Amino acid sequence: MEGPTGDDASLVQRLRHGDPRAFEDLVIAHQHRVFGVALRMLGNRAEAEDLAQEVFLRVHRAIGEFRGEAKLSTWLYAIASRLCLNRLTSGERRIAQHGDEALARVASAAHGPAEEAERSELETALHRAIGELTEDRRIVVVLRDLEGLSYEEIAEALELELGTVRSRLHRARMDLREKLERFLP
Amino acid sequence: MNCHDAREQFSALIDDALAADERAALDAHLATCADCRRELQRFRDTVALMGGAAPVRAPAGFVDRVLEAARPVPWHRRLLHAVFLPWPIKLPMEAAAIVLVSVGVAMVYRGSPELQQSARQEPTAALARRAVGEIPSEPRTLEPKAPESAPRVLYGTRDYAEREQAVRELEKAKEAARAREVDKGQEPGSLADKKQTETPAMAQSAPPPASGRLESGAAGSKAPAPSRDAELYKADVRQDRQAPVVGKLESSVPPTDRQRSEAKDVRPNVAQPAEKRADPLRAQRPASAPPSIASSAFAPPDVSGQLMVTNREHAIRGLKELVANVGGVETYRLDTSDGPIIEIAVRREKYGELNSGLAKLGRWQPNQEPSTPPSTIRVVVRITG
Repeated sequence: MEGPTGDDASLVQRLRHGDPRAFEDLVIAHQHRVFGVALRMLGNRAEAEDLAQEVFLRVHRAIGEFRGEAKLSTWLYAIASRLCLNRLTSGERRIAQHGDEALARVASAAHGPAEEAERSELETALHRAIGELTEDRRIVVVLRDLEGLSYEEIAEALELELGTVRSRLHRARMDLREKLERFLP
Repeated sequence: MNCHDAREQFSALIDDALAADERAALDAHLATCADCRRELQRFRDTVALMGGAAPVRAPAGFVDRVLEAARPVPWHRRLLHAVFLPWPIKLPMEAAAIVLVSVGVAMVYRGSPELQQSARQEPTAALARRAVGEIPSEPRTLEPKAPESAPRVLYGTRDYAEREQAVRELEKAKEAARAREVDKGQEPGSLADKKQTETPAMAQSAPPPASGRLESGAAGSKAPAPSRDAELYKADVRQDRQAPVVGKLESSVPPTDRQRSEAKDVRPNVAQPAEKRADPLRAQRPASAPPSIASSAFAPPDVSGQLMVTNREHAIRGLKELVANVGGVETYRLDTSDGPIIEIAVRREKYGELNSGLAKLGRWQPNQEPSTPPSTIRVVVRITG
């Protein structure tokens, strides 16, 4: 991922002191990862943007609650994950019911129109397969295999036991292994 | 360690998250099991595929939008954003524009005697042709439109059953009125009586404007068949002409008023939406009912139904989210003691999703569904329980 995350401490400090540039720096540095999680989870660009914006607004309001024990990015992932899972479950909304259309949108969402034409069948299948996972497995595999968080960071972000993270990740990967069988060498 | 146990640890192995003893046991199993080695390779390949996924980037302008939303007094902006940015609002805005234009046209027209004068010419000719049977009389040609306008007028009634009942009654009244009018049309000189027998339903017929219709009517009365049409037509014209002037159909207009109103053309009424013409029906609405919103004033909903739920609050919240999730918009809401009535506009391709979502919120019983749905479907949901 990109963006300066090494100087979290100074950024947080500036945020707490109300430095108007600090919030902008935060959004610039973390926008893609927050949006990425939202998009993989929700499968809809508009909804993902709405949710990503909500994540940053919450951070803006609640920066005082950030104790600095975890990485700032982990805190952002935690907020984003929670909002995604709430949205997916509370409104009886399930990605699986969106059918092929929404899943195709997930697949195409990462690309511009030109690249989309060249997108491989594999890429489409991959995103579709992720979209078909159950929410609790999907969030773990997104954080681990797409966002590169460690087991410990995932456990912290999702407030789960390490063992639960491990088993959910494993189930998610097993599901994916079956779904992507024909693309394996 | 058996194969199942071994494979359960593949993820942790790949991520180097196994304790030393676990790792040793797994390695020992793999050394002796070719199947598991093959399976492990496929597992690794799968994870590698994930690693090859294209990175996602936030849309252009995202940072600016977040900063804008985070400004110190953002509530009204966020509200506007929430209400107006999603595309479905196009529908209500278009409808509102139509209402504004219609009202504007009516006002300009009524304020311009010269326009009214010029508008008189055409209807005279039309009526003359009608009197000699060239074109069918208005009440008949417009008849099929009446049921369509009824539900929208009754939109604010407390209950759909009531509403349907009212529509049926309206139909009956209209039938009766038509029958009476036909009878009366065959008796010359019954204009005065007709005044009392006119029912609100008569107002459903659209008003073909006419001046000089009395002359035509009188001329037509010499021949039986055209006479009936002319009389029918005349009755409607008078009825409609009164509407914009006095605002109520049932009020009797003194001769002087009527003469004055006859000087005006009925055109303004053409521009008025159905609710104007159906004024008497307004009395059936509860006093608290808000005026129909623009969209509902123009057509009945495409789908309406009852949603039986156990927890109304929960259902309302759920519905709100559902609407947001399918990219729809709540265009109208009426809170009654029996529960809210909510109108939703949703794109046709999202209707199935909305429908299944509703079924999850409670017992969803749509009682009408369009055979050929429009591109934007309007769904009225009555939440009960």
